[in-house]
Amino acid sequence: MTVPEFDDRHAEFLARVSRGEKVEATDWMPDEYRMAMVRFLQMHALSELMGALPEKEWVPRAPTLARKLSLMAKVQDEVGHAQLILRVAEDLAAPLGKGREELVAELFTGQAKFHNVFHMPAPTWADAGIIGWLVDGAAVVSQAALLTSSYAPYARILQRVCAEEGFHIQHGESVCLALAEGTPAQRQMLQEALERWWEALLLFFGPPEPGSASSAILFKYRFRTKTNEELRQKFLTKYVPRIRALGLTIPDPALRYDEAAGRWIYTPPDWSKLKAIARNEGPLSQYRLGLRRLSYEQGRWVREALLAPAKQAV
Amino acid sequence: MALQEPLEAVPARSGEEGAGNPQFRVYEIFVQRDHLSPHVWVGSVDAGSAEEALVLARESFLRRDPAVSIWAVEQSAIHRTDYADRDFFARETDKRYRTVAGYREENAARWRRYRRDLLDLERDFVRD
Repeated sequence: MTVPEFDDRHAEFLARVSRGEKVEATDWMPDEYRMAMVRFLQMHALSELMGALPEKEWVPRAPTLARKLSLMAKVQDEVGHAQLILRVAEDLAAPLGKGREELVAELFTGQAKFHNVFHMPAPTWADAGIIGWLVDGAAVVSQAALLTSSYAPYARILQRVCAEEGFHIQHGESVCLALAEGTPAQRQMLQEALERWWEALLLFFGPPEPGSASSAILFKYRFRTKTNEELRQKFLTKYVPRIRALGLTIPDPALRYDEAAGRWIYTPPDWSKLKAIARNEGPLSQYRLGLRRLSYEQGRWVREALLAPAKQAV
Repeated sequence: MALQEPLEAVPARSGEEGAGNPQFRVYEIFVQRDHLSPHVWVGSVDAGSAEEALVLARESFLRRDPAVSIWAVEQSAIHRTDYADRDFFARETDKRYRTVAGYREENAARWRRYRRDLLDLERDFVRD
């Protein structure tokens, strides 16, 4: 048996994923695929960790014990998702000489990003509801599109992640429905939260034009197949009628479905905000990173205890 | 057949790196939902020991689902086939002769003939 030339292997790999075949952690893969995947998975994992923070802030303030319990379950799920995704990322990053610790710590140096939506404030209980219903709804739209991704270990983990996010959305809906059917003040609070989050929900999926070189690689190897705009359209199709059904007003007078074009027309959000967020200069970027740093330090003794050789008598 | 090399064992490290520091190991996790179900692989965890792996597995995979047993197997202990070794899983021959589907349709067609004969008999009786 002869070892194939690098170019042959690369071409064969590209042909394989183009045919819709799946890649496993132990397969040979081009470095650009491996690096783009590590970057993507690292950001997904860190976003799950960072996403737990705005929700955690609401556990002590949630109006009832039942709501506190559901929120705590959500926070546990998000942290759990981060663990599952980090595990997949580790196997990919190992040949690059990067371990779990580096993947997590790069958040603090700004080398790794977390999702733009978690840089936004959540000042009222209705914000917590909108996050659960619409932000998690947007997350499921983008994650469900990856269930057939070329990287099988990630796609397998996503099945669990999407199933649990389903619960998050139901819980968010439950909070929003309760507010929508509540007192005028509660309805008003929900309307204001929607107004605060609308632009963030459009920004969520990223700009419509082709993205960075790294994201082009994800498309080339069929890790991703749906564009940012396709995902945003899908989100609007699913959620605009539901939001309107609750009697809420979406803060965009230009928003309408163009039957002829078969797509939603909307006022574009201020895309430049994404650039500031990418530099961790979003509204709450530094505050949330501070919280994450704190929880990372507070958890240090646990990580160390897990690694300490067992000393107890048997 | 070709056995595949284990995954490179670099992964997770402790906070302070350096010689003599223990490292996390990867444990593959298998969950058994009830006594009549097989253990099914669900994912993997990083842990310092097998005992911790079992606790972390419960926290990671059983926050909702019921179960009666978890197996944690150190990843390096798993022997695996190579995905590229298609020959090992080759299925050149038609396997239908081993399956229910290989017989069901033809048997059904035959039984229909018997039933038809039975109906014809009834018709004959009526005519008589």
